[in-house]
Amino acid sequence: MRSQFSWKHGVRVVLAMGFADFLLKYRGSFLGFLWSFIIPLFKFFVIFHVFNPFIKNIPSYHLYLFLGLILWEHFSLVTGNCMTMLHEKAAIIQKVVFPRILLILSVGWTHVLILFCYFIIFLGIALLMGIAPTPGLLYIPVLFVQATLISLSIGMLLSSYALKYRDLQHLWSIALQVFFWLTPVIYPYTPKATVTQDFFNLFSGSLKVSLWSLFDIFIRFQPLSILLHDARRSILYPDTLGVPSILHTIVFSIICLLLFGLGAMVFHKRSRYFVQEY
Amino acid sequence: MNLSAVSCNGIHKTYEQYVFPSTMLQDHILRWRTHRRRWSLKVLENISLSVDKGEWVGLYGPNGSGKTTLLRILAGLLPQDTGTVSANGRLSCFFDLGVGFHPERSAVENIYLHGLIHGVDPATIEGQTNDIIERAGVSTHRDLPIKCYSTGMRLRLAFITIMRTESDIYLLDEILAVGDEAFKSICKEEMDSLRSRGKTVIIVHHGLKSLEKICNRILFMNAGKIVREDCGPWKPSLSE
Repeated sequence: MRSQFSWKHGVRVVLAMGFADFLLKYRGSFLGFLWSFIIPLFKFFVIFHVFNPFIKNIPSYHLYLFLGLILWEHFSLVTGNCMTMLHEKAAIIQKVVFPRILLILSVGWTHVLILFCYFIIFLGIALLMGIAPTPGLLYIPVLFVQATLISLSIGMLLSSYALKYRDLQHLWSIALQVFFWLTPVIYPYTPKATVTQDFFNLFSGSLKVSLWSLFDIFIRFQPLSILLHDARRSILYPDTLGVPSILHTIVFSIICLLLFGLGAMVFHKRSRYFVQEY
Repeated sequence: MNLSAVSCNGIHKTYEQYVFPSTMLQDHILRWRTHRRRWSLKVLENISLSVDKGEWVGLYGPNGSGKTTLLRILAGLLPQDTGTVSANGRLSCFFDLGVGFHPERSAVENIYLHGLIHGVDPATIEGQTNDIIERAGVSTHRDLPIKCYSTGMRLRLAFITIMRTESDIYLLDEILAVGDEAFKSICKEEMDSLRSRGKTVIIVHHGLKSLEKICNRILFMNAGKIVREDCGPWKPSLSE
């Protein structure tokens, strides 16, 4: 598609459209944006009530769980909305000469705003619970960027084929149920070595690989596990687990960017055929 | 010397469909043999055209003759199988009235987002907003969501917004086919203004008489081909 958009105008469109969608989402509702808070809140109460008696070795488990849930919710909402966006903005996609990736980026921006609201509430609760603010809080913007890059990359890969295969949305909602349990949102995740050490151990044969251990390996190395672990250790346990190192942050950010680049490349290639797939 | 504003050369377009169409991934995996069979439909065959700067060209033909597909390829919305397209200037396409308008948003918000997605900078949009609202006659409803507007008000707002979207080349598909007499009169005035500013227009319309009134040249399409070209003895003027 010929693009008549400058880079600057593209950013302007993403910010304006994402913010307009954020405002529109809760326009006219009594509780406003707090509605978006209700799903993770209910999930939190139910899961906390069920799992709290069994999980004794995690200090401040309620905050551990809550932080995991809001980052998970961000991931699942962004990936899902990247697909529904194709139907909500069908008229624009079919009838306006417009770089379609801007629509995806505006979905990401809308959910960054929602995630920001989640974090304000989370930090308020953490303060009320007596968790003192630490310099680890400065890591939050990095988490926002990494979480959004990962979510958008998966979202773009899915939305690239969501028009060709209409059941992809349904299949993804099933996959999300499985993926939820393969992400340490609820249960403890305390690796004994760094990700890099574990990665080399895997290839040197120090780690036993069996069919069942594949689940463990997946949980250990999948980006969301690393992201959740980084979030928890920088915000909740900087003294005991230590904040992520600069090298770790750079390498993980590059991986997130590469994933995003892959998603963007596939989306760009596939989006040429969207009009005839409606 | 007149420069070409839009041109295309040797455009071919074929739509491929499965004989047993399914949009389910499950079907494609589980019954992949069934879904290997495809049929193709040629929608455009060797289309070449050149539109000069400031020229108004009409595309006329029966349903399914390939007019909209050609317009979409010229706009860059659809990829062509073979051939080349080139545009010399800023190009905007309007395939419907009010694309991107949201019923829950006010006129000002809708005009702003509409302008942005058509590549207009915010300062220009803000400068034009009051004029668009006045011209569309919706000043009394300015701050209301457009779902509160009558159909006529929505159409007027959408049409004026399109006409005020600054561009060099306009691709218009059936946007004149709606509205009452008052709306048609606004259409004529706005189109006159577009012509006086020297804009290039390619328009698809089912009314031959209307096309004769506004176009310098009409291309007749049938079965994916340009079958006739008529420069006519008419004198294009909307105010007639």
